[in-house]
Amino acid sequence: MENGPHKIKNKQLLRMNRHIKKVAVLGSGVMGSRIACHFANIGCEVLLLDIAPRELTEQEQKQGLALEATAVKNRIVNQSLDFALKSNPSPIYRKSFAKRIQTGNFTDDMSKIAACDWIIEVVVERLDIKHQIFEQVEKFRKAGTLISSNTSGIPIHMMLDGRSDDFKAHFCGTHFFNPPRYLQLLEIIPTPSTKQEVIDFLMDYGQRFLGKKTVLCKDTPAFIANRVGVYGIMALFHTVDEMGLTVEEVDKLTGPVLGRPKSATFRTCDVVGLDTLVHVANGLKANCPNDEEKALFELPAYVSKMVENGWLGSKSKQGFYKKVTNADGKSEILTLDLKTLEYRSAQKAKFATLEMTKTVDDLKQRTKMLFAGQDKAGEFYRKLFGGLFAYVANRLPEISDDLYKIDDALKAGFGWEVGPFETWDIIGIDAGLKLISDAGRTAPKWLSEMNEAGKTSFYNTEKGKKQYYDLASKSFVTIPGTEDLVILDALRADNTVWKNADTTIVDLGDGILNIEFHTKMNTIGGGVIQGINKAIDLAESSYKGLVISNTGQNFTAGANVGMIFMLAVEQDMDELNFAVKVFQDAMMRVRYSNIPVVIAPHNLALGGGCEMSMHADKVVAHAELYMGLVEFGVGLIPGGGGSKEFAKRLSDEFKDGDIKTNRLRHRFLTIGQASVSTSAYEAFDLGYLREGIDEVVISRDHQLARAKAACLELSEVGYVPPKREKNITVMGQEGLGLIYVGANSMLAGNYMSDHDRVISEKLGYVLCGGDLSENTVVSEQYLLDLERKAFVELCMQRKTLERLESLVKNGKILRN
Amino acid sequence: MSQKAYIVTGFRSAVGKAGKGGFRFTRPDDLAADVIKHLMASVPQLDKNRVDDVIVGNATPEAEQGLNVGRMISLMGLDTDKVPGMTVNRYCSSGLETIAIATAKIESGMADCIIAGGVESMSVMAMGGWRIVPNSKVGKEHPDWYWGMGLTAEEVAKKYNVTRQDQDAFAIKSHEKAIAAIQSGRFKDDIVPITVEQVYLDGNEKRQVKSYVVDTDEGPRAGGTLESLGALKPVFANGGSVTAATSSQTSDGAAFVLVMSEKMMEELGLKPMARLISYTVVGLEPRYMGVGPIEAIPKAIKMAGLTLNDIDLFELNEAFASQSLAVIREVGLNPDIVNVNGGALALGHPLGCSGAKLTVQIMNELKKRNKKYGVVTMCVGTGQGAAGVIEMC
Repeated sequence: MENGPHKIKNKQLLRMNRHIKKVAVLGSGVMGSRIACHFANIGCEVLLLDIAPRELTEQEQKQGLALEATAVKNRIVNQSLDFALKSNPSPIYRKSFAKRIQTGNFTDDMSKIAACDWIIEVVVERLDIKHQIFEQVEKFRKAGTLISSNTSGIPIHMMLDGRSDDFKAHFCGTHFFNPPRYLQLLEIIPTPSTKQEVIDFLMDYGQRFLGKKTVLCKDTPAFIANRVGVYGIMALFHTVDEMGLTVEEVDKLTGPVLGRPKSATFRTCDVVGLDTLVHVANGLKANCPNDEEKALFELPAYVSKMVENGWLGSKSKQGFYKKVTNADGKSEILTLDLKTLEYRSAQKAKFATLEMTKTVDDLKQRTKMLFAGQDKAGEFYRKLFGGLFAYVANRLPEISDDLYKIDDALKAGFGWEVGPFETWDIIGIDAGLKLISDAGRTAPKWLSEMNEAGKTSFYNTEKGKKQYYDLASKSFVTIPGTEDLVILDALRADNTVWKNADTTIVDLGDGILNIEFHTKMNTIGGGVIQGINKAIDLAESSYKGLVISNTGQNFTAGANVGMIFMLAVEQDMDELNFAVKVFQDAMMRVRYSNIPVVIAPHNLALGGGCEMSMHADKVVAHAELYMGLVEFGVGLIPGGGGSKEFAKRLSDEFKDGDIKTNRLRHRFLTIGQASVSTSAYEAFDLGYLREGIDEVVISRDHQLARAKAACLELSEVGYVPPKREKNITVMGQEGLGLIYVGANSMLAGNYMSDHDRVISEKLGYVLCGGDLSENTVVSEQYLLDLERKAFVELCMQRKTLERLESLVKNGKILRN
Repeated sequence: MSQKAYIVTGFRSAVGKAGKGGFRFTRPDDLAADVIKHLMASVPQLDKNRVDDVIVGNATPEAEQGLNVGRMISLMGLDTDKVPGMTVNRYCSSGLETIAIATAKIESGMADCIIAGGVESMSVMAMGGWRIVPNSKVGKEHPDWYWGMGLTAEEVAKKYNVTRQDQDAFAIKSHEKAIAAIQSGRFKDDIVPITVEQVYLDGNEKRQVKSYVVDTDEGPRAGGTLESLGALKPVFANGGSVTAATSSQTSDGAAFVLVMSEKMMEELGLKPMARLISYTVVGLEPRYMGVGPIEAIPKAIKMAGLTLNDIDLFELNEAFASQSLAVIREVGLNPDIVNVNGGALALGHPLGCSGAKLTVQIMNELKKRNKKYGVVTMCVGTGQGAAGVIEMC
C-alpha cells in the first residue's frame, strides 16, 4: 500500500489505455442533465438521451408538428437541459461549453452510444426500467466501454441480472451528489464482477479529471455518505424531541460553528425534501435488520405528521421553515414549532457556550470548547457525538474497510469541514470513548486493538503525507490516491520556514516555497504584504520559486477594507498614499522578482486578490474561481495595480487598425460593473486570466501539486523576470471622450448615481493614461502613480467614506 | 437662368428588419443599385449618360457604406463611368436632403437630371458606426451633445408630458395602419421587388445558393395590446417610459427619385409627378432632438407660401412615439392625416433612406387620394429638425 514508483507507473499506464472522449448520459432529469454539464465542463463530448414523449403538447399541435418530428421527440431532453443550463448556480463553467452536449432520444439515438467511452445511466429509480435500459445498452455498446449507474438506493448487484460478461466486468455504481458540479463526492460502488482496472480507473479519473472526491464503497444500503448522513439526521430528529430543542437552536448548533454548512440540519432537510430523507430512512430500516441503531430509522411522531401534511420543504413551499408575505408586503420566514406543529415567528437561539466561541476562528479549538460546554449546548454535542462516534466505529468493516472513507464521504457529500473520525481526533480518542459509554453505546473491538497497538489517533502525518489508521495492518498507511498530492496541512508542522500573525511560509520541497494567508476571510493587510515580501526575499536568496496559495474557504476576499476605512477616516493623504504604495510595490515584486511566482487561487479571489493574481508569472486556478475587481462597490477603483494592469493589457491587446474604443469599453465595464467570474473560465473571458499563460485545474486536491510543478517548470527552463514595461500605449483623449459621455449617459438614464459617475471618470482617466494626446507611450510606473492618485482622491470623498463604512460596519454595499 | 425641377418618379425597396430580415445578407450598395436600375428602367427615354449626378443619403457612411458609397452606387447602378456620385449625411433627413440638393442644383441651372435618395443597412452597421470617438473636451462640458437618441426621447417625454400609455397606444395604432396598408396593397406602387441570394452550407457542408424575393415591409406586427406593450421594460433609462415598441425599428432599405429640369422633361416627353417646393432644417438643443419638427414644419410651410390648413398629408418620421406625439400636439396637426399608412414604429426606419422613402410614399398616397400638398418631416440627430413640402403636379 505504501507510496512507491511501482504504483505510480501503473497508474500512468492506466490513463494511457483508457481515453474518455465521449460520454453518454441516459436520462436527463435533474441529475442526468447536470452530470452531462459537468462532463462538458471538463471537455468531453456528451450524448444526453431521454425518452421520446407519447403525446403532443398544445403548442406542438398548433405548430402542426407530428409525434415523429425530431423537435417533438427530443422535447423532453431539450427542456431538461435548458432548465439545467438556466438554473442558478449554473451547472456549466462557461455557457459555450453547452455546445459539447448533443441531445437525443432513446428511440432514435441509442445506437450512438457505440461511439461513447463511458455510458452513465441516470433514469428513474426503478429496477425494471433500469433493466430495460440496460437491455438496450447491450445492443449497441461496444465491448470494453465503461457503463455505470447513478443510483442512490438500488443495490448495484441487482442490476446485473441477464447482463453479458463484458457488461458486468465494466459495470459499477457511480453515485454523484446534487448538484454534481458543486458537491465534491463521487461514490464508486463496484460489484464482485467489476474488473479491478475499471475500479482503479474510475477512482483516479473521478478525482483528477472530474475534480471529485472519489470514495470506494461497498454495495451496502445507501452506501457510505447517505447511510451515515441520514443516520445523523434521524438521530437528531429524536434528540430534538428528547431535549426539547427548537428548530432554530438545532440549526444554530449544527451549522458553521461546527464546521458545517449554513443550512445546518433543518434547512438542509427543507432543501433536500423530507420525502427523500424518509425514503432513504425507510430503506435503511427495511434493509439493515442488524443495524444496532435501527430504532432511530423509525420516524418520530412530528416527522410522520409533517409527511402526512405534505410539508416536505422547499418543493411544497413549507417544511421546517415557511416563507410568507405579511400584510405589509414584506416577506418573513416562519419556523415550525415542533411541539404544536404550528408556524411561528423566528426566535433567536442563544447558548452561553456558543457566545464564548464567537471570537474563535480555529475550528479545532472551537470544537474542544463546544464539547466542554457546561450548558444545554455542551450536553447536546456530547450526546450527539457519543452516538455518532459509536455508529461510525461500528460501521467498520460493514460499509467500509477504512475509516478515512467515512470522513471523506461526509465531508465531500454533506459539506462538513471535518469528518466524524477527525472530530474524534480533535477531542482525543479516550474522551470520545467516554462519550460513547455515556451515551449507552458500545465501542467495537478494533478500537481496543488500536489502543493495544499504541496508536493514539486516527490520523497522522508523515513526510508531508496524510496517513490513516488501517484496521487490518494495525498501522498508519498513506491515504490511497493522495500519493502525488501536495498537502499543506500535512507539511506545515515540519516544513514551516517563517511565519507572522497573518502568513506562514512553508517549504514544499524541490526548492519551492509556499506562502499562505490566515487572516479573517484571508484579507490582505500589512501583515500579508510583509509576508509576501519576506517570502520573495527568502525565495530569491535560497529557493527556486514561490507559490501563493492557501487552504482557507476562500483564496482571499481582497484588501482589508477596515484598514482602508480607518486611514480614510483620518483623511491623511500622505499616510494613505504610503499604504497604497506599499501594496503596489509588493505587487510589482510579485511580477519582477528574480524567481517565478505562481498563484493558485480558489473560490473568492476579489479585489486585491485579483490584482495579485494578475501580477503572477502564472496563475494555476481552481475551476471554481470567483474572481473580480470589485472596488467600485466601496466607492474606489483598483489601487493595487489592477487599474494599471487593465490599461497595460489594453495596450497589449491593440492590433494595427483595431477599433480600440471597443476594447476600452470592455475593460472599463468589467471594473465599472465589478464583474466577478462564476468559474475560472469566465475569469479568462473577463480578462483577469490570460489565455496561453494561466491555466485551470479541475481538482482542488491536485491544485497545489500542479502549481508547484508549474513553478518548478518555470524555474527549470531558465526563468528570467519580465522587463519593466516602459512602452504602454494609452488612448489618452481618444478614449476619454467616450468615458465622459458614457458616464453621463448612465447618470441621465438613472443607471448610476452621481458618485458612480465620479468614480467612473476617475477609472476612465487611469485606463486612458490621463488626458494625453492620442496614442502616447507611457511606463508602468506612470500608470501606477495615476491609479494611486485616483484611489487616494476617492478616499477623500464623503460618499466613498460612507460606502466603506457601510461595508465595514454592516457588511453591506451602499449605493449612494 | 432659373428653371423648375420636378420629381419624375421614385421607388423604394421594401423595408427589412435589421439583423434578421430579408436584407440581412444584402449589402447596402447592392440594394441601392437595384433600386436605381429599376428607376432607370421605368424611364426608357432617358440615356443613362445624361444623368448629371447620383446623390446618396446615408447616416453612417463607413465600412460597407463608406468609401463614398454614392460614387460606388452610381457605378454599380448605372453601369457607366460617366455619371459621378456623392454621399450626403444629415442623419435621418439625408434621403430628403439629397432631393433638396438635386432640386436646388437643377433650379440654379447647374444640372438637368439627378438621381437622389438614400440607403441604409443597419444589418451591417453598429448604431452610430464602428468607431465612436467623442471629443473629450465636449464630452466633459456637453456630454448630452453625444447622447444616444433613446435618452433624448426620454427627455422629450418628460418635457412634453407624454405618458407611457399614450406612447403605447400610438405604437399600436401605427402597426394597425401599416398592416391595413400592406393588406390593401397601398405600397404596391412604391416598392421594387428585390431578389436576394443567400449562400450557405447545408447539413452536409455543401455550398448552396438560395434565392428569394423581398417585396413586403417586414416590421408591422398584429395583435399588440396596451397590456402586452405595457409589460415591456424601458430600454434607455431606468424607470423611463420609452420601450422597444415605442422606438422606431432598426431596418434595411433604399429609396431613390429622379429629379429633372422642365426643359429636359419636355425634350424627352416626360410628365412630372411632383415637386419639392420648400425644404428647411432647423437647430435646437441636442437633448430635445426629437422635437426638431415643431419649428421646421411651420417654417417649411410658410416658405412654400402655404398655411397648415393647405396640407393634405403628413409623413412624420416616427423616431419615437414620444417625439411624434409631442410634435403632433405642439404643431396642432390633425392626427387623421399624419402617417395614414403607419410610421417607422411599425414600418421601420432605415436612417439615411427614410427621407426618400417617405417622399416616395407620400407622392403615391397623394396621387391615390387626388390631393395636392404633403409634408415630409423628421427629427434629426444632435438637435435638428427637417421638413419639406411636396406639391403634386
